[in-house]
Amino acid sequence: MAPTPSLYMIRIKGHLGPAALSAFPSMDHEFTGSETVLTGLIEDRSAVFSLVAEVEALGLELLELRQVEPKPNEPRR
Amino acid sequence: MVERIDLLATLDQAGARKVMVIAAPPGSGKTSLLRAWSARSRGKRRIAFVSVDHDQRDPQQFWLSVLRAVFEALPSAVEVPVESATPEFDGQATIERILLELADQLEPVVLIVDDLHELHSEEALAQLEQLLSRLPSSTSAVLSARRDPRIRLHRLRLAGEVATIRASDLEFSEVETRELLRASGLNVSSALAASLHRRTEGWAAGLRLAAISLQGHPDPERFVAEFSGTDRAIGEYLIAEMLDRQPDDVRNMLLRTSLLGRVNGELADLMSGSTGCDRLLLELEDANAFVVSLDPQREWFRFHQLLADFLRLELRRSAPGEVQDLHRHAARWFEEHGAVVEAVRHAQGARDWSHAAELLADHLFSLTLDGQEATIAAVLQSFPAGTSADEPELAPAHAAVYLSQGLHQQAAAQLARAESHLDRIPADRRQGQAVAIASLRLALARRTGHFTEVIDQVNLLETSMTDEVELMASGRELGAVALMNLGIVETWLGRLADAEPHLAQGAALAVAIGRPYLEVACRSHLCFPSERVSCAAARERGIQALALAEGHGLGDRPIIAPALGALAGVTIWMGEFDEAERCLRRAWDFDEADIDPSAVVLLHTATGMLHAARGELESACDAFTAASKAQSSLDGVHVLATRFTGWLAAAQARLGMPEAALASLASLPPDLERTGDVWNARAAICLARNEPALALAALDAVLNGTAPDIPSFTLVEAHLLAAHAHLDLGDRVASAAAVEVALAVAEPDRLIFPFALTGASRVLATLPRHETAHGALLADIVDVIDGSARADADTRQRSPGDELTPTELRVLRFLPTNLTRSEIARDLYVSVNTVNTHVRNIYSKLGVGDRSAAVRRARELRLLSAGFAPPGPA
Repeated sequence: MAPTPSLYMIRIKGHLGPAALSAFPSMDHEFTGSETVLTGLIEDRSAVFSLVAEVEALGLELLELRQVEPKPNEPRR
Repeated sequence: MVERIDLLATLDQAGARKVMVIAAPPGSGKTSLLRAWSARSRGKRRIAFVSVDHDQRDPQQFWLSVLRAVFEALPSAVEVPVESATPEFDGQATIERILLELADQLEPVVLIVDDLHELHSEEALAQLEQLLSRLPSSTSAVLSARRDPRIRLHRLRLAGEVATIRASDLEFSEVETRELLRASGLNVSSALAASLHRRTEGWAAGLRLAAISLQGHPDPERFVAEFSGTDRAIGEYLIAEMLDRQPDDVRNMLLRTSLLGRVNGELADLMSGSTGCDRLLLELEDANAFVVSLDPQREWFRFHQLLADFLRLELRRSAPGEVQDLHRHAARWFEEHGAVVEAVRHAQGARDWSHAAELLADHLFSLTLDGQEATIAAVLQSFPAGTSADEPELAPAHAAVYLSQGLHQQAAAQLARAESHLDRIPADRRQGQAVAIASLRLALARRTGHFTEVIDQVNLLETSMTDEVELMASGRELGAVALMNLGIVETWLGRLADAEPHLAQGAALAVAIGRPYLEVACRSHLCFPSERVSCAAARERGIQALALAEGHGLGDRPIIAPALGALAGVTIWMGEFDEAERCLRRAWDFDEADIDPSAVVLLHTATGMLHAARGELESACDAFTAASKAQSSLDGVHVLATRFTGWLAAAQARLGMPEAALASLASLPPDLERTGDVWNARAAICLARNEPALALAALDAVLNGTAPDIPSFTLVEAHLLAAHAHLDLGDRVASAAAVEVALAVAEPDRLIFPFALTGASRVLATLPRHETAHGALLADIVDVIDGSARADADTRQRSPGDELTPTELRVLRFLPTNLTRSEIARDLYVSVNTVNTHVRNIYSKLGVGDRSAAVRRARELRLLSAGFAPPGPA
């Protein structure tokens, strides 16, 4: 089965600095309140878990992880 | 450091439970807590502290580190040699060894496994689970990991034997925060401490980082205010703050060594292009700044994983152009210092794929001698997909991994690829590659019983072993392995005179290059009697081989199976059946799949001999049939083939199955039909059919010496069969004369077995004691035959149920179910080997040969209730 990348959203506590953001090169980031929201296409499920492991390894606090529907007009990267 | 009294007290109570689990995110202070507790434990309990290496995939490396930690912790184990890495690692045996060491302890022992989340081996995790469920009462365990460990502890949990410390338990309280700041030499207001505590939420790493930044800070209040006011993620913020406040040389060193899994002063100097790094590393550790030493001499260090991860990101961000060069420096340094795996990993980091492949190929051989196939497999996976699959240079490494997994066909395919690529390898490396490939071929051929191919490969090796190759360290290793494999194969082909010098040279070379595993392997095959080696001498060699294995901590490895089989065989020849039985029990404790197939043939044959000597003909037939089946998986013909086939036929004939007996003989290749063993078997069949004259005719070729391959024991057997035939024909004088010759031939080696095998009591009676020149031997033979008959009668009369041990009774209860032995093993939390041993004991104590008979007999003896029948027709 060929993997179909899906769009994911990850909410992390605190604003990530440049070093931590560089650990997620394929994700867009946005600061909302005192949180960081990372959004991007993730290749498959094992890539999702690698991402979670990265969040854990950097001592970051994962608040939410979910798959989201892409907005209709947004071009797929 | 802050004394975290409550947590330490919780750990003090760890001994009350079997397992304590600490599961909390990085930086929660797990390792610091465990180190503090270990230091405090002196005099109260013994601590075996294991830190799992980063990304550990190799069960052998993991278990050896556990074994080392246990031996270091226990006073009794000082003399016990700690084994080094070897091929054919047996995790199960290591667990048994650890349990044995722990079982002798009166003082409480705690096994701490820190960073368990780094262990990525299903096999090792399953074995750890088993170890935990079988810990002796004086021992408990502490497991520390970032996540709940992937070990099923539900049995222990149900029994209330598991306690857990979680992240919230590890959080610093406000009081502890103040203490920590005070202990760091910081005199700050309690309001400031409180806001620091609030902002870090008691996270240990955050507090320690903040403390480091606050030391010597011109304006602590402002630092805390800024930190409290920011929305930045605290780990990154505080690490960046700490780095900013370090002197340039420290900052430079931290960034440029962050790619290394471990670092020492010399390597740090090289990577950072400066000097004096050894001092900086020591200072950082003393300042409790996330740098810890790995050895008591404080030469090697590693960074706290959290710090290392951020440093690496920072390096890639601030100096992306340097990363590959730094990896390249590290690869060269590790290569020069003989750390091949780290060298390959850094070459991969530098994206020098072909160099990484070359390094791996050139050092493959010594890695396999250390049994590091799991590591090789992990390294192979780190090549980019195209390289890994297509790079012919890596084919030998793939072959080694397949071979270790028992995937012989895949291994052969990779070796074929490697060979076809050989002429494209540069001349200076080609020879080394050729011998590595040949040695893998050799191992493959031996494992699959392609005896003739082994000999061809060795000849090939000899021609390709130039002086240059022999001068390389790996050249000598290859030499030892080639000699070992050649000697082993010659042994199984029965060419003992050739095998002897090869194995002896192989063993001597193994000693010279410090490879005890190879030495033990050679010596284990050097204990067979031959024309030049008497039974007594062979026996002595066997005992010495076992002692050698014990001395190197290899006494529980399947590699000693040939020595056990040889010892069993020799003691059977000499009439010491109980001793033989002990050897065989020990050998059968190994998983049959882990024993060389040729040695399996030997063990089945010896087992059959033991049964035949004790008159247990059905069991003897089973064992000889098993030997024959094991032989059929070999490509070559085993030296014992004619012997076990002949004895199988003789036993079948005596059980009244002459057709089956003839069929057994017919299964032999035509060129073996005229050997002494086969003539003896034909004679035994004739005797069973009451055709004594034909029996004598069959024996003619043996007795007049025209048949090929007539060792003395075959001759003794032939004379005894002739004695039976003469007696059947009514010629007592000829019978007595034949017995007298048999005794004369048997005397030098005390060959008692043929007398027991042929049921010689009847013919011995024809020979009055005073008429023989071998009275002492005759008396011994009569004792052995009568003794074994008496012992046999004893076991039959005794009530077997009384004899079953509680454990055997537990296993017995499973026999009416349709669970397999490995399922029983899982349910009882013991190894399959242990279940096999119990089942064998149950069968022998109940006097039965299979599971359904055991259940029937056990029901008769009321050891099992009749109602416990498996579903389905009875």
